[in-house]
Amino acid sequence: MEPVSENIRLLKRAYWLVRLRWIAIVSVGAATYVSSNLLGIELQNAALYSIAILLALYNLIVLLLLNHFAKKGNEIPHVAVKKIINVQISADLLILTVLLHFSGGIENPFVFYFIFHMIIASILLSLWDSYLQATFAVLVFGLLILLEYLQRIPHYCLRGFAPTCLHRNILYILGTFFVFATASYLAVYMASYISVRLKRTERAYMQANTLLQKKDQIKDEYVLRVTHDIKSHLATIQSCLGMVVNKVVDPHDEQKVEFVDRAYTRTIKLTNFVKTLLKLTQMRLNDKLEIDVFPLRDTVHNAVAAVRTKAEDKSIILNCDVDSSVDTISGNQFSIEEVFTNLLLNAIRYTPEKGTVTIGAKNGMDCVVIEIADTGIGIPADELEDVFDEFFRASNARKFQKDGTGLGLSIAKYIVERHGGKIWIDSIEDTGTKFWITLPKGSRQFQAT
Amino acid sequence: MVNAKIMIVDDDPDYIKVIKAILEKEQYTVVTASDKTEGMEKIRAEKPDLAILDVMMHAWQDGFEMSRQLKKDPHLKNMPVLMLTAVENRTGIGFKSTAGDPTWLPVDVFLDKPIEPDVLLAEVKKLLSNKAENGTGI
Repeated sequence: MEPVSENIRLLKRAYWLVRLRWIAIVSVGAATYVSSNLLGIELQNAALYSIAILLALYNLIVLLLLNHFAKKGNEIPHVAVKKIINVQISADLLILTVLLHFSGGIENPFVFYFIFHMIIASILLSLWDSYLQATFAVLVFGLLILLEYLQRIPHYCLRGFAPTCLHRNILYILGTFFVFATASYLAVYMASYISVRLKRTERAYMQANTLLQKKDQIKDEYVLRVTHDIKSHLATIQSCLGMVVNKVVDPHDEQKVEFVDRAYTRTIKLTNFVKTLLKLTQMRLNDKLEIDVFPLRDTVHNAVAAVRTKAEDKSIILNCDVDSSVDTISGNQFSIEEVFTNLLLNAIRYTPEKGTVTIGAKNGMDCVVIEIADTGIGIPADELEDVFDEFFRASNARKFQKDGTGLGLSIAKYIVERHGGKIWIDSIEDTGTKFWITLPKGSRQFQAT
Repeated sequence: MVNAKIMIVDDDPDYIKVIKAILEKEQYTVVTASDKTEGMEKIRAEKPDLAILDVMMHAWQDGFEMSRQLKKDPHLKNMPVLMLTAVENRTGIGFKSTAGDPTWLPVDVFLDKPIEPDVLLAEVKKLLSNKAENGTGI
């Protein structure tokens, strides 16, 4: 559903009212003709036909006025259209009262048609305005029957329909008036109740729609990013192999081996990229994470053992400092170990030779705090807030290490948050980076997000 | 234009290697850069006869921004620009159809990765001879 501005919506409703009035005008003429000519009911034909003509003129003026506003498009003055609708409904109530006056007053069963006006008011106007219109209807109708009762204005008996003239019958007048007034207010109450709920639902749908469109756009960009990364690898692989297949490089040249080598390395990178992407998607789709209570110390030691060789290759000092008070946590041991291993590998990757990487854990209030620090290249301050975004790689990280999917930290964040924990980062460029992770202690209920 | 100097700006070193080998085989002199900043610096210093840019480098539209920057610079605006990309279109609007548009995509030729060596060489030759005749690419 395309969102329509409130102004246009209001204008459309005003047009609807005009269309309804055309039907009413034709009906007045037809009903007068049928009642007086075919049914032989005594009516003030001249007055009634004149009112129908006046009503037509009035409707034409309203139509022209609305057309004038419609030309302004979105610039339509909201208040002006609302006022026109309000005035129209008041004028309709007044005209209906005059019509009733010339066709038997309280004896005319068309008095029930006031209820339609109350429903229309409730749909188009605010609750407050609708009750005001109901009050106006009760007042003008009350005034009509009062003036007719007091014989200040003439009463045209509906001879041929009502058995007797009823305008002086006090019980009948009061009874009808009581029902008329309560029915009017009840109609407004009920119609408004439904109308307000409908408007709320409509608004909720529109908000949901906007949100969905936004999400759809994010998804599109995601797909584009993934496509780009995959196609980049493929394009390079094809081009490298093309150099050999199309004999751009001499078959005996060493370059031939180099291009095949490059193509081979890129296929490995592409496979890794796809694997990581699949893993992230699978984690998102899989609602269940097997939860155990396990000692955090062992997990940290396992992660350290897994990366030790890599650290040694770069002569990096790898420190591990788990506080003796740190006990068990509840979660998926495999995933948590993976987070630590990935963050340690990242730290080693972006730390120059002979640097230091430290992992530590200590008890917090109701959680365990894990700290992973390095003396690496750091992250520029203006890029810090993006580091957990998928595919993001810091500008200096790209220069330092060409390879990287930009998905590692997104996965780490996802796993930590699914455990009800938090992860955050602090970094100074050319000095180092520190990650903090909090994980709930003991057997706290795992949060499915 | 024999021995013309060509600048390649791409964040993919393997791809640079390929394009470089193709161009060097035809006796072109090749200069390379891996991002927008390095690319702009080297273009100003080396004054190449043609630039080959990748669209998506570090940031989403580095190549676009760079091409706009080049065409705005009075000293560089006559240098033809060839753009390569792994993603042909975004939000359904083909980039190729907008190539040459001075505000949106001020490049002379837009090509999809991977590119056949023959096609690349033909485009390069055409752009260089255009430049020699008219003094400009676009």
